[in-house]
Parts: sequence; C-alpha cells; structure tokens
Amino acid sequence: MSAQTPHLEIRGLTKRFGAVDALADIDLGIARGEFVCLLGPSGCGKTTLLRIIAGFEKADRGHLLLEGKDITELPPHQRGFGMVFQSLALFPHMTVAENIGYGMKLRGTAAAQRRRRVEELLEVVQLPAIADRPVAALSGGQRQRVAIARALAVPPQLFLLDEPLSALDAQLRDSMQIELRQLQQRFGVTTVVVTHDQTEAMMLADRLVVMKQGRLQQCDTPTEVYRRPANAFVAEFLGAANLLPGVVQADGAVNVLGAHVGASSRLAAGSAVTLAVRAEDVRLQAVGAASAPHVVGDIEFVRDLGPLAELIVRCGDERLRCRSADAPLREARVGQKVAVHFDAQRCSVFPAAHA
Amino acid sequence: MSAALWSRTNAGSFRVAMLAMAGVGLLVAALPVLVIVIMSFSGDAGLEFPPRSLSLRWYSSAFDVLRGEGSDSTVSAFEAMTTSFMVGAVTMIASVLACVPLAYALVRSTGRWRHGVQLLFTLPLVFPLVVLGVAYLLLAETLAQRTGVELGLWRLAIPHIALALPFVLRNCLSAMQGVGRDLEEAAMSLGASPLRAAVDVVVPLMKPGILAGLIFAFIISFNEFTVSFFMYTIDVRTLPIWMYSRTVSSLDPTTLAISTLIIGLDVALIAWVDKLVAGKGRLF
Repeated sequence: MSAQTPHLEIRGLTKRFGAVDALADIDLGIARGEFVCLLGPSGCGKTTLLRIIAGFEKADRGHLLLEGKDITELPPHQRGFGMVFQSLALFPHMTVAENIGYGMKLRGTAAAQRRRRVEELLEVVQLPAIADRPVAALSGGQRQRVAIARALAVPPQLFLLDEPLSALDAQLRDSMQIELRQLQQRFGVTTVVVTHDQTEAMMLADRLVVMKQGRLQQCDTPTEVYRRPANAFVAEFLGAANLLPGVVQADGAVNVLGAHVGASSRLAAGSAVTLAVRAEDVRLQAVGAASAPHVVGDIEFVRDLGPLAELIVRCGDERLRCRSADAPLREARVGQKVAVHFDAQRCSVFPAAHA
Repeated sequence: MSAALWSRTNAGSFRVAMLAMAGVGLLVAALPVLVIVIMSFSGDAGLEFPPRSLSLRWYSSAFDVLRGEGSDSTVSAFEAMTTSFMVGAVTMIASVLACVPLAYALVRSTGRWRHGVQLLFTLPLVFPLVVLGVAYLLLAETLAQRTGVELGLWRLAIPHIALALPFVLRNCLSAMQGVGRDLEEAAMSLGASPLRAAVDVVVPLMKPGILAGLIFAFIISFNEFTVSFFMYTIDVRTLPIWMYSRTVSSLDPTTLAISTLIIGLDVALIAWVDKLVAGKGRLF
C-alpha cells in the first residue's frame, strides 16, 4: 500500500435531516496511524460524520473508502472498527472480562486465549485484577478504560470515539486525555475522535477537523489551526478570541478601533474586515508607557486567576477580553485607563461576515 | 392532650383517614377471600359460617379430586387442571414470543404507527368479556363449520393470549425502554450481526420484564373464566369452569379448598412478579 493512499478516505459525503444539512459534501483523508479529531459546536455534524464512518447512519450521497475499498454499504458489524460511545455502552449484564472478550467470543477465540488477552489489555489500561467484577461495580474512570480496552481487544482497523471523556470530572478527564493519546500511539491505530472541547482536541489529535453546520472549516495540525485560523469562526471556537471590526487601509494595514495594526492583509483597501486576536495576545500597558500604536480603554473587570489575570477592557463599543501574566495588571482597578496594543504577528484578518 | 396534638398537626387525622380507607379496601377486597380460606378449613359437611369445627378433610378431598381418584366427576377435575396448566403454558409462551419482538419494534421505531399498534393490543381490556366470549365462540364455530378445523386446546389459548397480550406487552415495553440503542450498536461494532446483538444484549437485559410477562400471562390464563365459559367443550375445560359446574350442582367445600390453593398460587406468583419488577420484595 502506497504512502499516498489514505487509510480512510471520505468522498463527497452528504447527509440531510429534513431541511437541515447535517453534512454537506465532506471530503477528508485520514492517514494510517493518524489521530484525527472532529471538533465543533453541538449540531455541527461531527457525531453524524463519526456514525456514518462507523456504519450506524447512512449517508445520502458520497463514499467511504477503506484502503481504497468502498465500504459505504458495508454493515457496521462487518467493518471491524472499534468504537467507544459517549455513554460508554458497557454491557451491564456482563463482567469486565466478558465485556472486553465479547468481540473475540464472536470471532470464536478459545476461552483460555480470550482470558489471556483480557488480562493483557487490563494491564495496558492499568486495571489489573478487576476482570471478574460486574460492570456496575466500577468507577467512572474504570468504566472508561474498560470501554477503551473492549474497543481495542480485537485490533480494529479504525478506532472511533464519540465524546469519550465527557462523563468524567475535569481532573480525571485531564489525565485520561494523556493516557488515551499514549494508548493510541502504542497501538498505532488510526483514530477518529469527536469532541466539542478545544483543549481536549489539541491534547489528543495529530490533526484537527473543525466543523460548522455540516461543513469543514479547517483541517490542519492543532498548532496551525490555533496560530492561523482559516476564518473568524475557527478563531473564535479555538480559544476565546476577540473579533473586532476593522477597515483595510491603503498600505494594507488594518484600522481597528482607531489603531493602525500592521497585520498584512491581501484584501483591497477600504474593505471591511474582522480582526481576530486572542485574549492572551492583547498587550496591555500603562497609558504613559505605550510606544507602539495603541487604543486607550477602560478596565471593566479584573480578576487574578493565579498564573495570570483575566481582564475585560472597554474600547469604544467593543469589550476586549484580555489575559495577562504581567504583575502590575493584577493590581489594576476597575475604571482605570489602560493602553491596548495589538501585535500584528498575532492577529488574524478575515473578510467581514456579511450581516 | 391528644386533641391538641391532632389539631396542631394534620398528620394525625391524615393517618386516621388512610387507615380507614385501607380498612374499607381490606373489607371489600380481602374479606370474601378470607371467608373462603376460613371455610376451606371447615370440619362440617355443609357451608355454614363460621365453621363449628376445623379440619383438613376438604383438602384431602381436593387432592383426591385433583389427582383423579374417585368418581367420574373427579376424573374430569384432574383433566380440567391439566388443561388449565397446558393452556396457561401455551398462553405464556405464545404471548411472550409475540411481545418481545413487538416491544423491540415499538421502542426502536420512530414511525407514527407505533402508538396505533400499542393501542390495538390493549383493546381486549376495553371490550366486555361477554362480548369477547360471544365473538370468539362465533369465530371458532364458523371455522369448524367452514373448514372442519377443530382448534382443540387453542379454543381457549387464543382468547387467553389476546387477554394476556396487553399485560405482557406492557412488561416487555418497560423492560425494552431500559435497553439503549447504544448497547446494540456497541455489540455490532464488536462484530455482532443485528440479530446476534439482540440475542446477546437486548434479550438478557429484558429478562426481568420477560419473566414478569410470563407469570402475568399464566395468571391471567389460569384464572380466566368469562370467555372460557363460552369456549369450553366436553374435552377442553379449565379448572375455573370445572369449579363453577361443581359449585352449581353441589355446594361442596372441596371447591373452597381448591380455591384456597389457587389463591395461594396466585399470591406467590404475584409476589414473584413484584420482586422481579421492583428488584425488591415490596408486596408484603
């Protein structure tokens, strides 16, 4: 198999629910061993796409190719994909070992061999000696690991996860993200995970697929998507960006709130644009000390969060969300004036959305 | 002192009202049965209440009759009991076999017809039993005349199944509602065909509902009288029919002993259902 052929190729996939486009003409290739994350707000079609890949939903149009073979019409039980469900869907009437061994049992693996593999997998997910417990006796984190072990018990062609960590509390989710990533690397299995959590997506994936209203917005590495969002939606969805209206100047720079920001824009002079700048990329300085072009705003809200301070600064009609590690800002008071400075390198410029 | 307490909190009077209502309920529902139970232990030959002496003689007579020992009429009592158990077994199995797939289809379907189908199966609850009896009798006779097909045991089993279906379906539906679609999908993603997923995952999880349905079906069939009264023949008659004819022809405490045994069986089965459905014995 050539390196160019994707492990899974999605071609022109379209699905409608009534009058709504759940998926509109999706094209996507996933390389062998790649960890892809479908990311987007609820209702963006990410779960529908995963369910079509798994075979639980039928697309209205389009094709799924696995190693070049068309599997669009193949029923789910013949696809050989391991799946972790949002609810985990562990079989409540079976023990941990029976859950993990179910796929092997269906394939006629001998009981002794099944047992060995179950023990081995439980070792991998760091849950030794719970094989004979009923599923109901497990904690949230344990269930999570059992569900993962069950999906990987018969090495799957594709490993699919639907919001797998959403049921866990924040701390456990954090450590499971790292564990899941390490497991995926260890098994080297091609993986698609659905999530609405941007941090989780960046923690897990080699590549993010950002979706909105059934359409792909951007497919790239987490770093690229974060640094160079393809549009205002992606910028806003990935990490609390401020979206500010601006106008392109004759020299290609952008006028935002009266400040001249040297963000390069290839748009024609005079066109309306949206400038996206992240909370942590807004630089705040004392009014007198500011050198570069800046806007003066009023501090509306300050909160010291420990590692950094969270501020809201009002500049004209716009309220800017800012995050800063600067010590003096933590002592800032509400109502104080502050100089707001935009670093051109860290701003993204998009054509303004037509309202 | 107690008067002050009563007026201060309504809890006291509420409790009295509850107790009074429970008492009335007990009187109306349980007393006639209690009389039968007491009378079945009578030592007298007649049916006087309260009995002047106590004995187990009617139980020994009842066991003789049910074992098929004694006169001609007692032979038919044994046959009636056998028929009752067989019709009960057929009703149990047939109604559960119909309701498990039906409940599956109803819960999984999103179509508009599901409500209609559910209603259709509860219709026997609305029809007067006498009307059902006449209807089934007409149907069976017409069938026999036109095609010569004799239904045999099914003369009773078919109406009993119809009467049991609403109850069995309700049990299967509530059991099925607890089985998420994701569990089946999980089984399929692990390589199970849809049928295999249903057998391995759905049916085991429906088990309490299925068992409760089985027991309900048996109780309904075993106790059914009205429709059976229209449908019975010399060869196919159930225990309630036999007891009715016996009571009409000769008032004999043997019937009361049999009644008490049936009550005991019903109570035991209902307690079992309650345990299955609630997961805990709550009836007593």
